Parts: sequence; C-alpha cells; structure tokens
Amino acid sequence: MSQELTQEDEGIGSRIRSNPRPALIWMVGALALLAPEFGAIVQLVTTTVPGVGVVELPTLLTRELIPNQGYQLPNGNWQGTFLGLSPAIAWTLRVVLIYVYAFAWLAWLWYGYLTFRRNYRFADWTPTDDRIDRLRDHRWGQFGFVVVFVFVMFAMFAPALGPTTLQSNIIDPYSYEVTYYDEEVSEVSTASVGTANLAAQSRGTPDQNVGLWSYDEYDRFHPAGTVTNGKDMFTFLVFGARISLFIALSATLIAGGIALVLALVTAYYKGLADLVTVVASDAFSSIPLLLLLIMLSVVLSGTWISNLYNGAVILVLIFGVFYWPFYWRTIRGPAFQTVENEWIDAAKSYGQSPFTLMRKHIAPYVVSYLLIYASLGLGGIIISTSALSYLGLGITAPTPEWGRLVVLGQQYVPTVSWHISIIPGLAIVLVVTGFNALGDGIRDAIDPESEGTEGGAAAAGGGG
Amino acid sequence: MSRLTYFAKRIGLMIPVVIFGTSLTYLILYAGPINPAVAILGPSADASQIRAIEQQLGLNQPLWAQYFDFLGRMFTLDFGQSWVISPNTSIVDVIANRFPRTIWLGFWAILIPLFIGIPLGFHAGLNPNSWSDYIVSLGGIVWRAAPNFWLAVILLVGLSNSEQYLFGFEWKTFLVDTPQLIGAPPLNDLTDPRQFLEAFKRILPASFVLGSASLGNELRIGRTAMLETKNSNYVEMARAKGVSDRLLVWKHMFRNALIPLVPVITAEAGLLIGGSVIVEEVFSINGIGRLGFQAIIQGDIPLAAALTFIFVLLFVVINIVQDFLYTIIDPRVSFEE
Repeated sequence: MSQELTQEDEGIGSRIRSNPRPALIWMVGALALLAPEFGAIVQLVTTTVPGVGVVELPTLLTRELIPNQGYQLPNGNWQGTFLGLSPAIAWTLRVVLIYVYAFAWLAWLWYGYLTFRRNYRFADWTPTDDRIDRLRDHRWGQFGFVVVFVFVMFAMFAPALGPTTLQSNIIDPYSYEVTYYDEEVSEVSTASVGTANLAAQSRGTPDQNVGLWSYDEYDRFHPAGTVTNGKDMFTFLVFGARISLFIALSATLIAGGIALVLALVTAYYKGLADLVTVVASDAFSSIPLLLLLIMLSVVLSGTWISNLYNGAVILVLIFGVFYWPFYWRTIRGPAFQTVENEWIDAAKSYGQSPFTLMRKHIAPYVVSYLLIYASLGLGGIIISTSALSYLGLGITAPTPEWGRLVVLGQQYVPTVSWHISIIPGLAIVLVVTGFNALGDGIRDAIDPESEGTEGGAAAAGGGG
Repeated sequence: MSRLTYFAKRIGLMIPVVIFGTSLTYLILYAGPINPAVAILGPSADASQIRAIEQQLGLNQPLWAQYFDFLGRMFTLDFGQSWVISPNTSIVDVIANRFPRTIWLGFWAILIPLFIGIPLGFHAGLNPNSWSDYIVSLGGIVWRAAPNFWLAVILLVGLSNSEQYLFGFEWKTFLVDTPQLIGAPPLNDLTDPRQFLEAFKRILPASFVLGSASLGNELRIGRTAMLETKNSNYVEMARAKGVSDRLLVWKHMFRNALIPLVPVITAEAGLLIGGSVIVEEVFSINGIGRLGFQAIIQGDIPLAAALTFIFVLLFVVINIVQDFLYTIIDPRVSFEE
C-alpha cells in the first residue's frame, strides 16, 4: 500500500536539518554520558581488534578506580581503599555511582523520545502516544519497570557491583591473595583468598557467621554476608542474576519467536494449520515442564552440550522449545481478532503476499500482546531455573545460581546465618513481582479494556 | 455440532497428544545417551553382564522395533518392573502404593486456595481501593511470585519453631500431636476422625505451598470478576428495585463472578502435577512426584517412563474435564472452534 508522499514529509534527516538544536542537545548529552565509560569502550574495541595492544584508559565505574578492598591499621586508618574510606563506604559509593549512571542513560533515552515527538515526528499523534500516556500514571507498572531495570543493571554491571570478583572469590579462590593486617604479629601480611574464605564461613553459630553488612577477620567487607563456604554472597548474587537473566531472555526470545510465527500462520490460514498447532501445543505441554527439565538435565549430563556456559545453553534450548505453547495460547486470540479486520481483506484484494501481510498488518498487534506474556514468562523461567538448582541440577557449581543458595542455607534459616536462604528467596520474589507488574502495566497500556483474565499467568507462577 | 460430537472430536485430538508425549519420553530415556543396562549394574559392571541385561531387556533390538514395543506396552499399561528404586516389584504396585499420597496432597492443594483465595478476592472486589483491598492484592501478588521451594523452606522453619515466632503457638502439638513435620501423612484409615485430622494436619503445609500460585491467581481473578459484576447493569437494576445488599451479593453477584474462575481452577490442576515434584521432594512425602524425581536421578528408566506416561494421561484427562465443565457453566462457549 504505497502512500503518496505529501509535500511536508521529506524524511527525518531533513526535518532535523531544518531545526537542529534539540537534536544537538540530545547528542551532547550522549557524549557526556559516554565519557566516563569511554575507557571501557576503547578497551573492548582494542581487545577485539587483533594486532593492537589493549589500551587501558581510566573509566569511572570500575573497581580499580574506586577500590573497596584494603586493610585496617590499628590506628583505624584504611589502606588501599578509595581515598582511605572504609570498604563499606567505598563500595556503597561505587554502587550508587553505577546506578546514577544507569538511570542517567534511561533519562537520556526518555528525553530523546520526547524530543523526537515534539520536534521531528511527522504525525502529530500516534496510538503509541496514548499508550505511553496511560503508563505515565500507572504507578504499579512503573514500579515493575523500575524493579526490572534495576535487576537488568544488576546483571549487566555485575563485575563492578560485587565487592570482589567472581574469579578470585568463587571460581578459583586459591590462586588469588588477600592483603590484611595480622593482629597477632602486628604487621601486614597476605593469605590466599581460599584460606580467608575458610575463616569467613557462615554456619549458624555466632562465632561462625558473617552476616549482612559486616567485615570478616581478613578486613574484607561483605554487603550481604557470606555463604556456608565463606564465599561472598553479594558477588554470588550479582553473577547469579546474570545467568538467570541470560537464560530467561534467550529462552523467551526463542519461545516467543516460535509462538509469534505460529500465531501469524494459524490466524491467517486457520483450519488445518490451526488444528495441527493446537495438537502440537497440547503435546508439548503434556509433560510437566519441571519433570522434563529434570529428565533432560540428568540424561544429557556429561555430554558436550550440557557444558556450554555451565549448563545455561541447554536450559535455554529446553525452555525455548517447550515454553512456546504458553505464549502461543495467549496470543492466538488477539491474532485471530486482528485477522478479522477489514484492512486485512483490503490488503488481500490489493494482491499483497501473505508474508508481507502478516509482517506488516498482523504482527505489530500481536507483538504487543506477546510483550505482556513475555514479561510473565520471564518470571516463570527464572523461578524454574532456580528450582532446578535447588534440586542440584541445571546450572553446575561453582557457577552462581540463586536456587543453590536456598538449599545451602536451608538448615541455617532459624539461626544467625538466616541470610543465606532468605535473601535470595526475597530477591526472586521481588524480581518476579517486578516482571509481573511490568506485564500488568504493558497490558493496561495496550488494552485498557481488557479484564485481565490470565490463564497463562498461572503457568508463569507454577513449576517452582 | 452437538455436545457429543464435540467431545468425540476432543478425545480424538487427544490421541496424537498422548502418542507424542510417549514418543518424547521414549526418545529422552531410551534413545538418549543413558545406557539403561549400565544404570542397573552400576559403573563397575563388565561387558558380559551388560550384554546379558541388554539381552534380557531387548536393548539389542533395533531402535524402531524397541520403540513400537515400548508404545505397545505403555498403551496396554504393561509397565514391567522397577529396577533400582524397588527391584523386582511391578511398577503398577510401586505407583499404586504412592498414588494416594499425591492425590491427598493435590486434593487439598486445590481446595485450600479455593476457600482462602476466592473469599478474600471477592472481599477485595467488593471494597475496592480500601486498605484491606490493598493488603489482599499485594499478598496475592507476592504469593504468586514466590517460588514454591522457598516458601516450603520458610514454612517448615516457621512451623518447627512456631513457639518462637507466633507468641507461644505450638504447631506440632496443635489439635493433634504430630512431632514429625515432614514425611508422608498416615492414610490407612481416613474414616477415623483422629486419623483424618492427623493426615490433614500433616499435609496442610505442603498443600498450602503447592496451592500458593493458585491462591494468588484466584485472589486476583476473583477480585476483577467481582469488580466487573458489581458494576454491571443487572446489579444496578436489582439495586434500583430495592434488593437488599446482602441478597444482592450472595444471590446475584457471587454466582456470576464464579464463571471466569472455573477455567483458572482447572488450569491449576495441570500445574499441580509439575509442582508436586518439588513440593514432595522438600517435604519428603513419598508420592508419585517425588518418585518420578528419584527414578530419574537413580536411573530407574522403566519407572520414570511409566510415570511420565501417567502424567501425560493425567494432563489429557484434566484438559477434557476442563472443557466439559466450561461448556456446562458458560453456555456461551461455542463448539465451533
């Protein structure tokens, strides 16, 4: 349906040329935001391009610039930490800076959208405007968005957020050293991280416990305490978030993609195609997902595919292949409704090919519905993954996964080491609630009339 | 299209579903990398022993022959014997032994959320935007997002030390003395009130956890359904005619608000099958969910296959029952799709 271009519409480039100021302000903002992390980008580029040595420039948000690991002399001064601050304050400062930075980018994106809407968009109004305006006073949806955003940043900036590194504290503690002030011999000495971890175990007795926001005997700061084997729990949590998010996002992309293609095809061709898909979706969901995950994890353990990314890749594939019925069932209705519209008939009579028709006239409507359920499904996948780790399957140790913390700390819940089990559990509840709230927000924005019946939401909550 | 042909068609559609589920089970358990003979004998077996076992189990046949043999045995409910979990007993016996516990667990896991979730949801829907509504809604949301295994851990700890947390209320001696928190409930004689109470008390925490997701959903959907019913025209009409508030709520609104809840309730039933695996594992209830998990972990292939087949059958039956209920409750459902 080629539209006659009107005189005013010459493309976005010329519109910006005729009024460059708002766009320039926005670009300057981007440069200002890129500056603190410029070193990281240079490093990334120079490491990927062969033949050039790694160029190290100082960047604002690294642990090297704001270190939080040091030792305390008897006079109370800290050595080795940022400006001689105590590790707790140095670490807090770094975390706060990282989040300020992340939210600044978010504000920049929002400002860019508003600038585009005010100055450069050809249309005065689009349906999307209404959706966004509906979200503006949807507090519950905003809460969900903020929680999800914080969680994603948690995973993205994991290396800089942890008080120590994954490699030195969790994967290979005996190859790294920690410097501390030894009070017995009154001098600064070193020990391997593994030895220090042994002394920092949390095992439920007051003298064997490193709780929230405390230091261990080796002057190391633990914002979320330590695990039963003395490893730092906050580091464990950030890297666990990373792997959970990776699994949930990739699996949802695969499952959502399959569901979208099938929904378009079944809505367009109906009849036999629909029938076959109904049977297939029932067949794929006839075996309880958790049981299937257990089966495949056990059967495939030890094969090459189960070792890719510590078992995450195989989980992504299983979720991707077996989660699509959940998405497809929820978007089938909207897809069928969209096909009923008159413009579809019009497009058909213009002789548009089925593929173009699906892509241009059906998919945009269906994708927005898919977003709602993807948000719910993400929460479900995170819960299922942690349930598998709880059973000792799925992600292989020592790679962090939240569910394993729950089982590690299970026997210590009534004691002073309660944090090991409780904190990850609360984190899962918060993150999944965030995803659910975001889904609710998207639903109310897209379809304020919808009554919120969710047969699929149950599937997202179950299984763990 | 009459109701009868509709259901004949539904049941006809279920046959490929069952065949697919069974084939998938076969593919994973028998055609996968696991060698069942090695699983039986342990890693220290020598080649002649392995060959003997393979001979005995027909594992030296070509795969397709094994596959049709497997399908045939499943559909005739000829499951054979368990190898590892309880050697030399027939699988039917093993499953029949443990099935009642899972049924007992599932039964309460469906009922408890109904009796807690729906009244609370309706209450919230009748008093929207009040404090109680906010508390109930938030509770439902959090309840839905909490992983079952974590809830189970928290609940176990809380109940075993309840006198510390609940102002001296001691769960273990409450009503009947149950010193053991985990483990299977006694189901020998449910007609005896004392026995019944004990069995109920023992299963209560596990059922509560297993039904947690359903509880959250029913709360939420009950609330929206009540809100919609409350603002519908016929309620306005009845109110205008002077029907008393109480009668209005109980006679007119309650029944109509239940309609959207029916598919939700039956959809939960499918979830219970998957959820029972982990809940039974945490509470160490020897039901079929835990049996399935143990069978897979310990390499008891025939048992795992038989259980998976039973789960597939259950799924199919629940689906058909759900359709059936739906057509009865909501006559507007057409048989055309």
